Amino acid sequence: MELRPPIVIASGTGGMGEYLKLIDPKHIGAYTLKTITFNPRRGNPPPRLIATQNYLINSIGLENVGVEKFIEELENRVYDELFKKVKVIFSFAGENFEEYLLVAQKMAPYQDRFVAFECNFSCPNVHFNPLSNVVELERMLSELRKRLNVFLIAKLGVEGAFIEEIAKIVEDCGWNGVTLINTIRALHVDGDRIIKGGISGPVLKPIALRAVYEVRKKTNLYIIASGGIMNEQDAEQFFKVGANAISVGTALYKDPKMIEKIAQKFS
Amino acid sequence: MENFSLTRSELVQLTADTFIISFNEWIDFEPIQFIMIETETSIVRKPFGLGRWNGKLAIGVQIIGPGTNYIVQQSVLEAHGPCGKGFVPPEGKGAMIATPACLPMALDLHKRYGCDVFIGSLEELSIEIPFPLVVGDEAFLNLLRSLEGYDWFLVIGSDQMEKISYDILKGKAEVFVSFNEYMACGIGACRGCAKETKNGLKHLCIDGPVLRGEEVWS
Repeated sequence: MELRPPIVIASGTGGMGEYLKLIDPKHIGAYTLKTITFNPRRGNPPPRLIATQNYLINSIGLENVGVEKFIEELENRVYDELFKKVKVIFSFAGENFEEYLLVAQKMAPYQDRFVAFECNFSCPNVHFNPLSNVVELERMLSELRKRLNVFLIAKLGVEGAFIEEIAKIVEDCGWNGVTLINTIRALHVDGDRIIKGGISGPVLKPIALRAVYEVRKKTNLYIIASGGIMNEQDAEQFFKVGANAISVGTALYKDPKMIEKIAQKFS
Repeated sequence: MENFSLTRSELVQLTADTFIISFNEWIDFEPIQFIMIETETSIVRKPFGLGRWNGKLAIGVQIIGPGTNYIVQQSVLEAHGPCGKGFVPPEGKGAMIATPACLPMALDLHKRYGCDVFIGSLEELSIEIPFPLVVGDEAFLNLLRSLEGYDWFLVIGSDQMEKISYDILKGKAEVFVSFNEYMACGIGACRGCAKETKNGLKHLCIDGPVLRGEEVWS
């Protein structure tokens, strides 16, 4: 996969292409859509967000229309403008291993439209954690590889197992890349309110840097680094420890123009 | 929808903690649309309703923490917008009921639709305004109870003020409320500003910020 510039809009934060209203597509290497699941998901109840200077906690809960409706939208040309402007990465997940396979099966006929499929194995806002069962995960990775003839990326988190060991399994199963890392489970107390969700933003950067560093030592996978990349200096550090591309998420909320600044440095 | 820098034209202090900031730049917007403004104190931008002051683009800011304090202190602000669905009032006679920080929005709505405006404040204002002003909780409640002969109301303020207003006004006319919920993107991407309604989840940045009160509180 060749991404120029090597900048990806992260799944979830970037929605379904909305940021093209604020960012010139020439600065985007690929745009990852929100994660699609087999069944439609309403997502978690509000409140869903809390932000400070150093972190954002979100509890969106993979709100999405489900794969059937998404395919209907694809066929109704809802995303044609998006496809014309940028390379698009399809992100998907399931509430169990079988649902990952079902989404893959439904989407296989459309795979050529996407530059890659990103399999979200690490959303902290749902109860299912595929990384906690390595044997099942390996079976799933092999099955998905057989069914999809597309650049396959596993989005991994740091909860469940050492990330470099999971990444090695990903590589051994014939996958092409990893996105490192996802948000991590966290909690914020705001008066009487308790907000549980996945944490992102600057506090995540040292953890993500270590993950990229360790996975690069152990694999030859294409690495999309994600976690606390807020500016050009952050991006540079991730490239230095072995990232092939960087994924920007929370920084979009601080300043959408940051994408352009990073792109100008790394094009 | 665009990114822009806003340079401050005028800063008007209304009360100890409430200000109007007008800007030199001109942006077209629909009533009650908002912009997302960057601060140094949060990694997400904050929403502020758009309006006019002395013919210029303006927002109202009540200082409730370091983020709003930052916005009042700056001469240049980074923002994007306009965001949200513009409010189009129904037919008939209407009134907007708002806090002092909503004055720019009120002026804009009044100019476009000729609706009445009532401002409820906890303190006297430091300037004259062209709308009736009531000061203090009791006076505000009396105002709400006295309002008759309207076809619609639009309420904008704090969560508590909005709920109290809705409870008193709901039997008199259709009540619209500009709801508040934490927001990150303001453009429909993040899905963070979800609001429970009787018609399912609504996202305030694209379905709102104005919803019918009965959708949320019936």
